[in-house]
Amino acid sequence: MSLHVTIDQTQPMRLAGSFACAPGQLVALVGPSGAGKTSLLRAMAGLMKPQNARICVGSACWCDTAQGLFVPPQQRNVGLVFQDYALMPHMNALDNVALPLRGPERLHRAREMLRRVGLSPEQMQRRPAQLSGGQQQRVAVARALVREPAVLLLDEPFSAVDQMNRQTLYALLAELREDIAVPMVLVTHDLNEARLLADELVVMAEGVVLQQGRADAIHRAPRNARVADIVGIANRFDGVWLGADANSPPGTGWLRWGSGDAALHLPVNDKGRIEPGQSVAWVVPGEGLRLCETPTPGAVNAALGGGLSLPAQVVSLRHLGDVWLLRLQCVDGPQARFQIMLTGPQLRPLVPGQWLQLCIDLSMVHIMPIKTGSGALVSAR
Amino acid sequence: MDWQALTLSLKLAFATLLILLPSGLWLARWLARTRSRARTWIEAAVVLPLVLPPTVLGYYLLVSLGGQSPIGRWASDTLGVGLTFNFLGLLIASVVFNIPFMVQPIQRSFEAIPHNLIEASVVSGLSTWATFWRVELPLAWPGVLSALVLTFVHTLGEFGVVLMMGGNIPGETRTIAIAIYDRVQAFDLSGANRMSLLLLVFSVLAIVVSLVASGRFAPASRTRQRP
Repeated sequence: MSLHVTIDQTQPMRLAGSFACAPGQLVALVGPSGAGKTSLLRAMAGLMKPQNARICVGSACWCDTAQGLFVPPQQRNVGLVFQDYALMPHMNALDNVALPLRGPERLHRAREMLRRVGLSPEQMQRRPAQLSGGQQQRVAVARALVREPAVLLLDEPFSAVDQMNRQTLYALLAELREDIAVPMVLVTHDLNEARLLADELVVMAEGVVLQQGRADAIHRAPRNARVADIVGIANRFDGVWLGADANSPPGTGWLRWGSGDAALHLPVNDKGRIEPGQSVAWVVPGEGLRLCETPTPGAVNAALGGGLSLPAQVVSLRHLGDVWLLRLQCVDGPQARFQIMLTGPQLRPLVPGQWLQLCIDLSMVHIMPIKTGSGALVSAR
Repeated sequence: MDWQALTLSLKLAFATLLILLPSGLWLARWLARTRSRARTWIEAAVVLPLVLPPTVLGYYLLVSLGGQSPIGRWASDTLGVGLTFNFLGLLIASVVFNIPFMVQPIQRSFEAIPHNLIEASVVSGLSTWATFWRVELPLAWPGVLSALVLTFVHTLGEFGVVLMMGGNIPGETRTIAIAIYDRVQAFDLSGANRMSLLLLVFSVLAIVVSLVASGRFAPASRTRQRP
């Protein structure tokens, strides 16, 4: 049964937007701190009563302010993993996990759950203070899952453990996910973590849900400049959308990049959503950039046929293991700095100051409005 | 040793605990959780018996509960009991002057419970009542224990308020603290000495118990924890 959340409030903090999460799907709420991720999670758990909201799992609603419905947290059956675990310090691991359970089988079920997350029988008898951070985290996950919740909520669960433990816990979560057939919502400020664990991202800023979608889809086509910033798109530039005219190839319009004599007019995909004359941000994903042959300093080829080649100078080259991060500066035309990841056969020795030819696949260029509009309430899938 | 006075004092101390523990727990938890504006005023009222001279407190209690007062008259007309110069009057006074000793340590320990533990309990499906018994009370227990001990010992030793409210009636209002004063007045220093020593021992024990409860006096093996 999928989780559907729609919220719109102004007090005590702004919180607006909607998103959905299918059974077995893991959605990550990402955004800078103060974006309202945790507040949204608390509203789902029933720890916060929103002004206007509808929170439903399948046909059962937990909160529907239009109907005056608010189910208290006790009756929601959510599994919540707190940021600092919130384990009961006066109970051992086993009693902590048995806390949500009733009946004679409770200790047996708690023991079974703890075994699944990898705690030894001896560790189960220890209190939280006598367990390592990673073990505490496992206990917290076990407590959230032991009641077979209708929704699993994870509030920055990996922020308090070190890098080594984090990798093991990622693996644990991935393994547990196989058996969890309920919607899962993860709050994180770590984009890499979100991309690694989540099926979809929900990008938030200033309390507003800006976009929901698969990580690669958001990277290819961020809804607006704010989303592009939050998901950390390196190659983002400003321009002016001129729209289509008689000379533009079918399905495309003109993007003016740069100003004055140095301005380039690029034919890019026109989705008809932006008014001509409007200032826009545009992005090009890593797949749309490559190094091509014949460096010709001083010449800009604003070619048709979906390609643009620009002479560019190496600024820096950083070796990140199998991947090299190359920064390039375009000197002619609009002054812009690009960032490319080189892998496999593309790897070659390069020195700062060296001239290269940068080819941009214009069919992969995505344009978007600069201001964050109020259209943020619609979720883009 | 005035055994009658000691028995009376112990009876008074236990009766005070019986009344103050449930009401003090409730008030302390409310003060620790509430965001009401009345909180500051109620907290001030709770502390008042601590700063007021005992004779002043006793005087006001005497005046407001005595036979001439509306409350005193109502009690004698409808219930047929007097509220001063008897055990009941002593008990009322004892409850009032012990409010800060009961409420404050419990309130501090409720305040020290991280709020996310309460939330974790609620999300785990525990009712407010179950959360209180299984999470809040066990975690606040050191404060509760220390409040019980303080109140108990304080009741045994209270002098000023008791004298004002109860006088010095053997078997009815003569507590051990009054008996000590009595012995000294009668130049029976060895009698006063024995009873004073007993109260001293009680007081030292109380301090030890409340330190152990708050974890500041714990043996080394208990404070050391596995990394």
